[in-house]
Amino acid sequence: MKRVQQGDMHAYQEIVQRYQRKVYRVISTYLHNREDALEVLQDTFLKVYTARSTWESRFSFAGWLYRIAINASIDRFRRADRGHTASLEDVMESQIHQSATVAASVDPLSKLRGQERRRLLEKAVRRLPQRQREVVSLRFFAEMKLEEVAAALDCPLGTVKSNLHKAVMGLKEMMLKQKGVLDYEQL
Amino acid sequence: MSSCETFRELLVFHAEGVLAPESIRQVEEHLASCAACRQESEQIGRIRGWLKEPELFEPEQDLAWELLPGKLAGRAASLPSRRWNLAGLGLPQWAMGAAAIAALACGLIWMMRLHVPRPPAAAIGLAGSGNAAFLDRVHTVYTREATVQYLDGCHALLLDLASTARKCDRNHFDVSLEIARARQLLQQKRMIDAGPSVPNLEQARSLCDDLERFLVNLSTSRECESGDALQLMERSIERGQLLLRIHVVSSDIS
Repeated sequence: MKRVQQGDMHAYQEIVQRYQRKVYRVISTYLHNREDALEVLQDTFLKVYTARSTWESRFSFAGWLYRIAINASIDRFRRADRGHTASLEDVMESQIHQSATVAASVDPLSKLRGQERRRLLEKAVRRLPQRQREVVSLRFFAEMKLEEVAAALDCPLGTVKSNLHKAVMGLKEMMLKQKGVLDYEQL
Repeated sequence: MSSCETFRELLVFHAEGVLAPESIRQVEEHLASCAACRQESEQIGRIRGWLKEPELFEPEQDLAWELLPGKLAGRAASLPSRRWNLAGLGLPQWAMGAAAIAALACGLIWMMRLHVPRPPAAAIGLAGSGNAAFLDRVHTVYTREATVQYLDGCHALLLDLASTARKCDRNHFDVSLEIARARQLLQQKRMIDAGPSVPNLEQARSLCDDLERFLVNLSTSRECESGDALQLMERSIERGQLLLRIHVVSSDIS
């Protein structure tokens, strides 16, 4: 990032290359629409560049980057929500139905089960309260340590742990409720 | 709290590997003797395993991911830097900065000497027109800098206004902070207007005036505005292409 601060565009490209998919996954926990998520992803990295001078090396770059991504995602979600007609759940249900239909026609049963399980889990993650979702996305999708998550969210480590506990238990409960719908003898 | 409940509170942290060695030993001893907690622990482990699957929230594989870094680098390079980056300046930039500061210091010293009785200009061979040109130059630099700051402030305010989410109630948004910032920017604008007129800033002046009209409207808004009123403001921003014009004018005068 220090090289980026000096205007090194190759270093900037390396950063985008390195983080783009992880940041996309974090953004996707807020925005289910691929185009919206891609747009926020680009805005995030452009903001990293325009605000590069405000980053200080004593802080974690990843924490700073994900904070920008989360703020941008929340802003986009709220703006979309303000003048919005369809609810998040409506759109999500419709997407799940569409993709399940396509998947059923081309994939073997086990693969379909895996895809359905992931879709249900994605839906469950999106239903988590905001702080729990932030903790889960940074811990598992951004692959940060709990201490790094605490620094990125600017909150005590104890708060992160407590939210992680609630989130995992909440996801377990939500997934257990799906047991009757799909074949989840594994859970 | 029963023994099982106590241990179940620790299972997520046990799976995360953040427990102290003594707690780990106690949890594992309990799991070895309690089938229900063992099942709970396995379920937690499975959820964590699924959360770690790379396919979860994974974008589709396509060429866009390969092209994105280059595309963003191109867009980023065309953006103006919005803040000074002293830490990132190299030796040439520091040298130029020092020279500029020295020039400004000379200008200030010269202005202070204006108050000291001087011999006739002819006696010391000074040409008044040369000094006036220097002063004009100082004023120009100052006005340009103040205009850029004003435009930056307006840009940030418009973006924040468009994304404000602080609610007073279900249908109204709290824009009190934005109103306060609009008033500050109006003061800045008045200071720019009070300064000398600078050539080659006509386009910026026209934009600053348009922004001033918007700021006046905003500064006289209610602190709790309806979503409809905010949408009207957003439409006004879009109609006047304010953000785009700020971007273009800032790039020009920077």
